[in-house]
Amino acid sequence: MHCWNCQSEVGAAEVCPSCGKVQPVAAGTTLFDVLGLPRGVDVDRAELERAYRERSLRIHPDRTGKDDPRERRLSLERTALLNEAYKTLRAPEPRAFYLLKLHGLDLQKDEARAVTVPPNVLEEVLDLREQLDSARAAGDDEQVSALSDRVRVLSAAALSTARSALHRLERDPRDAAARDEAAQALARLRYHHRFLEAAEGGDEDET
Amino acid sequence: MPGGLLQIHDPLKPRGHAVGIDLGTTNSLVAAVVEGKPGAFPVDEGGSLLLPSVVHYALDGSVIVGARARVLAAAEPTSTIASVKRFMGKGPEDAETKALGAYRFATGGPVVRFEVKGGPPVTPIEVSAEILRTLKRRAEAALTGKVEQAVITVPAYFDDAQRQATRDAGRLAGLEVLRLLNEPTAAALAYGLDKGSQGRFAVYDLGGGTFDISILELVEGVFQVKSTGGDSALGGDDIDRAIATRFLEAHGLASPDASAITELLAAARSAKETLTGKESTELSALGKTFPVSRAEMERWIAPLLQRTGVACRRALKDAGISREELDGVILVGGSTRVPAVRTFVAQLFGKEPLGDIDPDQVVALGAAVQADLLTNRERQDEVLLLDVIPLSLGLETMGGVVEKLVPRNSAIPTAAAQVFTTFQDGQNALDVHVVQGERELVTDNRSLARFRLTGIPPLPAGMARVEVRFEVNADGILSVSAKELSTGVSQAITVKPTHGLTDEEIEQMLLDSIEHAEEDIHLRLLREQQVEADRILHDARKQLATFSDLLPGDERREVEAAIARVAELRDSATDSQPLADAIKALDDVSRPFVERIMNRAVGTLLEGRRVEDV
Repeated sequence: MHCWNCQSEVGAAEVCPSCGKVQPVAAGTTLFDVLGLPRGVDVDRAELERAYRERSLRIHPDRTGKDDPRERRLSLERTALLNEAYKTLRAPEPRAFYLLKLHGLDLQKDEARAVTVPPNVLEEVLDLREQLDSARAAGDDEQVSALSDRVRVLSAAALSTARSALHRLERDPRDAAARDEAAQALARLRYHHRFLEAAEGGDEDET
Repeated sequence: MPGGLLQIHDPLKPRGHAVGIDLGTTNSLVAAVVEGKPGAFPVDEGGSLLLPSVVHYALDGSVIVGARARVLAAAEPTSTIASVKRFMGKGPEDAETKALGAYRFATGGPVVRFEVKGGPPVTPIEVSAEILRTLKRRAEAALTGKVEQAVITVPAYFDDAQRQATRDAGRLAGLEVLRLLNEPTAAALAYGLDKGSQGRFAVYDLGGGTFDISILELVEGVFQVKSTGGDSALGGDDIDRAIATRFLEAHGLASPDASAITELLAAARSAKETLTGKESTELSALGKTFPVSRAEMERWIAPLLQRTGVACRRALKDAGISREELDGVILVGGSTRVPAVRTFVAQLFGKEPLGDIDPDQVVALGAAVQADLLTNRERQDEVLLLDVIPLSLGLETMGGVVEKLVPRNSAIPTAAAQVFTTFQDGQNALDVHVVQGERELVTDNRSLARFRLTGIPPLPAGMARVEVRFEVNADGILSVSAKELSTGVSQAITVKPTHGLTDEEIEQMLLDSIEHAEEDIHLRLLREQQVEADRILHDARKQLATFSDLLPGDERREVEAAIARVAELRDSATDSQPLADAIKALDDVSRPFVERIMNRAVGTLLEGRRVEDV
C-alpha cells in the first residue's frame, strides 16, 4: 500500500508515517485490526479502552483533515469504523457474534435462518413469552422481574457455551461441530435478548 | 508572536472570532475564550449576561429581542415568541405544538409558522436566528471584531430534525456553525478543563424546557460521552405551569385568554424563584392572590422529578456503571436552583452535586472552550471530545415495525448499512422511511424523512437487493444513501427532516432577510466599519508605542495623520464608505512599518532557535 498523498509506503498504517495523512481502510481489515488487538474470544478491556483513545486522537475529524476534503472523508470513514470496532469488541456478546461472522455465519443477516434451533429451545422461549404476557396483563411486576432473572441466567449459560465453542473454532477453523454449537448458542441468546427487551420496554412505558 | 497590526496582514489567521452560544429555551448566552479563559459577554440591558430568548415582532416590521421583548409579551402575546426552542423541528400537527399556548399559527406547509404583526408568518428557525443575530452583534461589540464562527449547544436529546433546524438558524444568522455540541457535554467540558481532573461525571441538566442527563468519562485527554438521555419536553416551564394550574383551579377559572395565561405564567415563575430562598410566598396575578408554600410546590413537582429519575437510571445502565462509580454530579440549568431539585439529585446519585460554576453560564462557557479547541491550533492537542447519538435511528419495515440501524448512544461519527429486498415480482421502486426513537412501532417514533429509490431492475420478489446506508457525522446529523446491489443503481439523499426547511427555503430566507434589512443596511455597514476602526486604532496605537524606534519621523507623521483621520470619521461619518477608505489608507501607509516589526519578530524567533540549537 502506498500513501494516496505522498506515495510513500504505508503498509497497514491508518496514518501515513511520512506525511501524516489518514489512509483508506485496506480490504480484509477486521475490527480487531482496527483497534490493533489480537483476535480472540477474550479481549483485555483496559487495553481496548487505551487503543480506542489513542486511535481516536490520531484520526478523529476534529484532529485531522480540516483543510483537505479527501482526508476529511477518510477520517470520517475511519472514525466510524473505529467506533464500530469499539462498540462490537467491548462487550463479550457482540464480540461473540462478530467472531462467528468472521467464521462465515452472520446471525444479524438472512443466514440466521440457516441455524436450526432445537424445538425444545423454541418451546421454552415461547412458554416464557406467554408467561411474560400474562404477568404483564395481571400487572404482576414481581413475576415480570422473576421471569427476567430466569432469562438472564439462561442467556449467561448460552453465552458461556458459545464462548467455549468459539475458543475451539478459533484453534481449528474447520471444526464444524464447534461452529454449529456456537451458532445455536448465539441463536438462543438472540431469543433471550428479545425477551429481555420486551420485559424492560414494558417497565419504562409504565413509569 | 507580536499581536496587533500584524494580525491584519496575516493571511493564515481567520479574521473572525469563534464563540460558544447557549441557545436556551428561556435565556441565551454567548461566550468566548479570551486570553485563555472562557467568559460570557453582556448581551442585554443593564449588562446582563443572559438574553431572554424572547422575540417581539412589532407593527412597523422591527424586531425586538430580549428583556424588552419579554415586557411586551403580556400586551402582545401572539406577536411575542417565547420558548421558541420547543418548536424547533416540529410540525404544525405535533400535539405538543398546540399545547404551548398563546400563539396563532399559519395553516398549511410542513413547518410551524407563527402569525405575527408587521410581516409574513415566521418559522421557529427565523425566530431563533433573530436571537443568534443579537448575540452575534453583542459579542462583536464586546470583542471589537467580527464573529463568524460558533459552536451552538443543543439538548443531548434533540433529534435530527431539531438539530438541523438549529444549524439552519445559525446559518441564517450569518454564522458558520463549527459544531452542534450537546449541552451536558459542554457543561462537563467547562468543569473538566477547569480542574484538569480525570474521572466519571453525571451531568443533570434541567433547563427551562428540556431535561438532559449524560454520563461522561475523562481519561488522558479524551472526553468520552458514555451515554445520554432525557426528555425534550420537560423543564422549569412545567414547574411554572404546575403552579399556574393550581392557581386557576383555586379561583375556578376555566378558560383564561392568551394574555391572562402569559401574565399568570410570569407570576408563577417569580413565585418559584422566590421559593428558592423563602419558605412561602404569595402569587398575585389577574387581580387575585394565591398563597404558595415551598412544601406545596415540592409536592406538585414531585412527578416531574420522578420522570427525570427514570431517565437517569437508564443513562447509568446504558453507560454500564453504577452510581457509586461516579466521581461527581454536575448541575446545569436555572431550574436546578430549586432546592427540591438539588435534594432529589443528591438522593438519586448518593452524593452532593457540584455547583461552583454558575449553572446559567456553564453551558455557554463549555461551548466557548470547544470553539477554541476547534479553531485555535495551539490548543488542538489538549482535549478530544467523543460524543454519542442520543436516539436510535432506524427504517420502517413491513407491518410498520422499526428496524434499528444505529442504536442510541453509539459513538459518532458512525455508519451502518442494511440490505432490504423487494416483496413483489417486478417491483421497480422501494420506499424508504427513516425514523428516530426507541419504540418498536413506526407510529410511536419520530419520522425524519421519506424517499423513494427508483430504477430497480424488474426481478422476482426478494431478488433485488437494496442496501441502505446511514452515516452520522460529528454533529449528530444524518445522511442516507441507497444502492441496488445487482445493478449498482444508487441514490444519495440529503435527509431533510419532514418538518424542516429545504435548502432553497433557507436560501430564500437569507435573501429576504437581506432585502428586509435594506433600510438599515447602511447603518449596519457603518457599524461594521466602526468596529473595524476600533480594532485597527487600538492595534495601531499599541504598535506605535511599542515599536516607536522602527518609525522614522516623516513616516510617523503620515501614520499619525491617518490614525487621526480614522478616529475622526469613526465618530462623525454617517456613511460607511469614507470610513472604509480611511481604514484602508491607514492600512497602506503603515505597511512598511508593519513589515519592519515583522522582520524584527522573525529575527527574534531565529535567535531563539539558535540558542536552543546550541
